[in-house]
Amino acid sequence: MEIQPRQNNLLIPVAIVIAGALIAGAVYLGGATGDGAIVPQAGAQTGDMEQMNAIASGDHIRGNPDAPVIIVEYSDFECPFCKRFHETMQQATAEYGDQVAWVYRHFPLDQLHSKARKEAVASECASELGGNDAFWEFTDRFFELTPSNDQTDIDTVLPQIAGEIGLDGARFASCLAGKKYDAHIEADAQNAVATGGNGTPWSIVIAPSGKKYPISGAQPLEAVKQIIDLALKDN
Amino acid sequence: MVFGSWSYIALAGVVSFTMFVLATWLPNFRLLRSVWLDPSVSYADKIVLPVRLLESITTNFSVLSASYTMATVVLVGVNIAFVAYILQRQKQQLSAAGVTAGTFGILSGAAGVGCAACGSLAISALLATAGGAGIVALLPLRGGEFGILGVAFLCAAMYYLAKHIARPTVCGINSYIT
Repeated sequence: MEIQPRQNNLLIPVAIVIAGALIAGAVYLGGATGDGAIVPQAGAQTGDMEQMNAIASGDHIRGNPDAPVIIVEYSDFECPFCKRFHETMQQATAEYGDQVAWVYRHFPLDQLHSKARKEAVASECASELGGNDAFWEFTDRFFELTPSNDQTDIDTVLPQIAGEIGLDGARFASCLAGKKYDAHIEADAQNAVATGGNGTPWSIVIAPSGKKYPISGAQPLEAVKQIIDLALKDN
Repeated sequence: MVFGSWSYIALAGVVSFTMFVLATWLPNFRLLRSVWLDPSVSYADKIVLPVRLLESITTNFSVLSASYTMATVVLVGVNIAFVAYILQRQKQQLSAAGVTAGTFGILSGAAGVGCAACGSLAISALLATAGGAGIVALLPLRGGEFGILGVAFLCAAMYYLAKHIARPTVCGINSYIT
């Protein structure tokens, strides 16, 4: 047998222990602060769901505003997982009817999706010109039409959707060029981070008792339904 | 040779399954903790929710990230079984190349795993204070590179380990000549 340095005997167990510790560290960092891992603004891993801004008139609500369970989703129009989760939320809210309300807030991840913020402005313009229904029509159609990951031709798609849902093209373009909604969108994004959102979609399910359940990412419909059921039981 | 024994198959299976579970639960440990620690939640719900979250491999991963995640968990299981076989059956030392490749494979695989929500990579947690999001955004696959690199390292490690296992356990003449 070849003679090798004896200290090599320790390499494997030590390597495995180090690897395990790093994996555990990554899991801990992801789990302890809640939620995945990336931080749009570095270092903000101290989210607290109690920091969530109260639902106000500026929010976009689908369903019964007085529903016992409210799901607040922080979303990015260019995120493929938000596109997928949008469908999940459509199914969940359709299935639960008046029991669940869905609040949409903006969380554009500028470092990953440079077009998302402009698209968020477009959705606010849709809301301004056509009301809450127009906001949701715009959002549904946008996720249906676009491929995500910054591949959307916004110069074509945004006016196209505005036309399809019956908005005035000139006023929509004028609104889109303005900065009226920048602060609102930024406030939503900052609030997402403050509540522990590290990526998109980031959602908070609020039970009638006020208890909050965090959902990070595009989780399956059955899991979302179970969380809604848990929240409904939590009076 | 290694997988002729059920114990090594079981070891590889347990390690792979554990890694898969961690990868799918990674974004939602906070949710799981709140459900598990809540006395008002039934035991059935405490068990069913984590099982349902495993399905997120189909909803919360891209085709690419799901592919390298699955490859990583299987390869880590196989590598660990190989290492255990060598240590327990052959009582031999491993080559530095095998150790290095295995370690890098496990680390970079772990870093790439968890690309769940947009940009939600385990590596980003470690890079966060150094502007991890910016670094990931610069990469063409938005961090998927770590997962692919991990699979490559794990394949290399498996090759070295398999070669080591296949090598006859004889005394090396070179040791005595020098």
